[in-house]
Amino acid sequence: MTKFVPLSPFVCSHFGPVEERAFRPASSGISEDSIWHLRSRTSDAKLGDYKRIDAGLKPRSSRASEMVAKAAFGCAAFLFVVCCLGLYGFSSELNLPSTVTAGTGMSIPTSGSGEAILYLVGPGTAIRRRVQLGQNLQLSADDLRNAGRYVISLGDNSATFFVTAAPVHTIAFLARPSRVPADTPNVISGTAFLFDRYQNLVLQPQPVKFELSVNGQILTRTEMSKDGVAYTKLDSSKKEGPAQFVASSGPASVRRVVQEVASDPCSLRMTAQRDKNGILVRTDPIRDCAGNPVPDGTIVTFTSTDSQGKSTVDARIKQGIAEAQLPASNDATISVASGVVIGNEIRWRNE
Amino acid sequence: MIRSGLRFGLALMAVTALALFASQKIDSVLASGAPSVSLNAEHTGPRQVEDTTQKAVARDYAAAWQAMAEALEENRPDLLGPNFIGTAADKLTTGIEEQRKTGLHQRIVDKGHSVDVVFYSPDGSAMELHDTAQLELQVMDGGKVVHSEDATVHYVALLTAAENSWKVRAIEAVPEF
Repeated sequence: MTKFVPLSPFVCSHFGPVEERAFRPASSGISEDSIWHLRSRTSDAKLGDYKRIDAGLKPRSSRASEMVAKAAFGCAAFLFVVCCLGLYGFSSELNLPSTVTAGTGMSIPTSGSGEAILYLVGPGTAIRRRVQLGQNLQLSADDLRNAGRYVISLGDNSATFFVTAAPVHTIAFLARPSRVPADTPNVISGTAFLFDRYQNLVLQPQPVKFELSVNGQILTRTEMSKDGVAYTKLDSSKKEGPAQFVASSGPASVRRVVQEVASDPCSLRMTAQRDKNGILVRTDPIRDCAGNPVPDGTIVTFTSTDSQGKSTVDARIKQGIAEAQLPASNDATISVASGVVIGNEIRWRNE
Repeated sequence: MIRSGLRFGLALMAVTALALFASQKIDSVLASGAPSVSLNAEHTGPRQVEDTTQKAVARDYAAAWQAMAEALEENRPDLLGPNFIGTAADKLTTGIEEQRKTGLHQRIVDKGHSVDVVFYSPDGSAMELHDTAQLELQVMDGGKVVHSEDATVHYVALLTAAENSWKVRAIEAVPEF
């Protein structure tokens, strides 16, 4: 009795319809030997069965090659099916966006069934979690809060993606120097580093406004950030005082104070008078060229040169003026200086 | 005849032992050495980078990478040392602690960095680098390799000047410059 082994639908579909081949003419090249061969195999088959199969017979050589071809095709088909099943049933693909904004979270669809271990490794993040395939993987905002490169792995699949910074939230602002002479060009520098709420550097260009104000005088400049950094250089104002230096971008704003002080003395003048211990020298109120009083504590140097030699006395400005006592002399030349500024010269004669 | 043969054999063994010892020494030096950092400061602004500063930055940045690789592999935040401060130190420390909790670690085979200094602050206190790093990266779950790749990774790094060294304040990998 011929046994019919049930075949999978895929394999069965490679055989043509039986009825179509049943009435093929006998003169189609089928030899007696071929028929005998079939008969010997299907001796218990009914006539109807024989006819239906006989019509599909071919010479032995072509039948062998056809069998080989069918076997090869069947194997290929089997592999294809196995692969399809493998992708569907035993594994899962990772379909990810290339970049994600920090703190937004992400849902990753998976296929397949069963459990797998999810790995997520990135800056400040290392997650190992058992997940159910076929469901969406949920990565929370907290999982993806740090900007940088992440590796995600699920089953045999792994991929990388980037998290980019969220909008500007804070500014790290360097204002230099903290004390600066008034009325000097390009002497104040401000450097702003832009960060989001998770302390990621905001690399997208952003407008940054720098504002310097002192005594109602305001100087504003807007610069575009590049790679998270914006900087500017500003002139100090003519009037001394505490300058408010503000950097702002979006909702973030930072204030620094730059103390603008008088610049170098502009015209340094002194007077001299006899004193019981020698010569008393005293400056007029010392101011810079913008009229700002030079700060107390600034060093003023008095020098007396006579036949005995040179005498030098350093004095600090106190309440706007500087004074010192020089040794008595009958004939001396007295000069005054502060920093690089030289004041008037007095020819002293003791009469 | 026998004596000369023995002498030759002993000499051969000594030479072999010396060669093995030397090769081990060389390997350990290479393994313990900081990665190569090629630094370019030709297009830096607004301030020019002095030669001595360039050398210091290259030295300290390489040391930071070496420390980071060791800390991530051994899950020891203490190995980060003084090379990182601020947010970079915080994030690396958090990451290493997370790795330790989950049993993961990372292995970084550092094949070198090509670094451009893109910003040097007017006061000389901060510097920004664009680093193109050639890395062999592995994510390990215990002894199992979860992910392995040879990658060219771009980093933006922010460095600040300390008393006698440069420290990494922020470091972020980016898709491109």
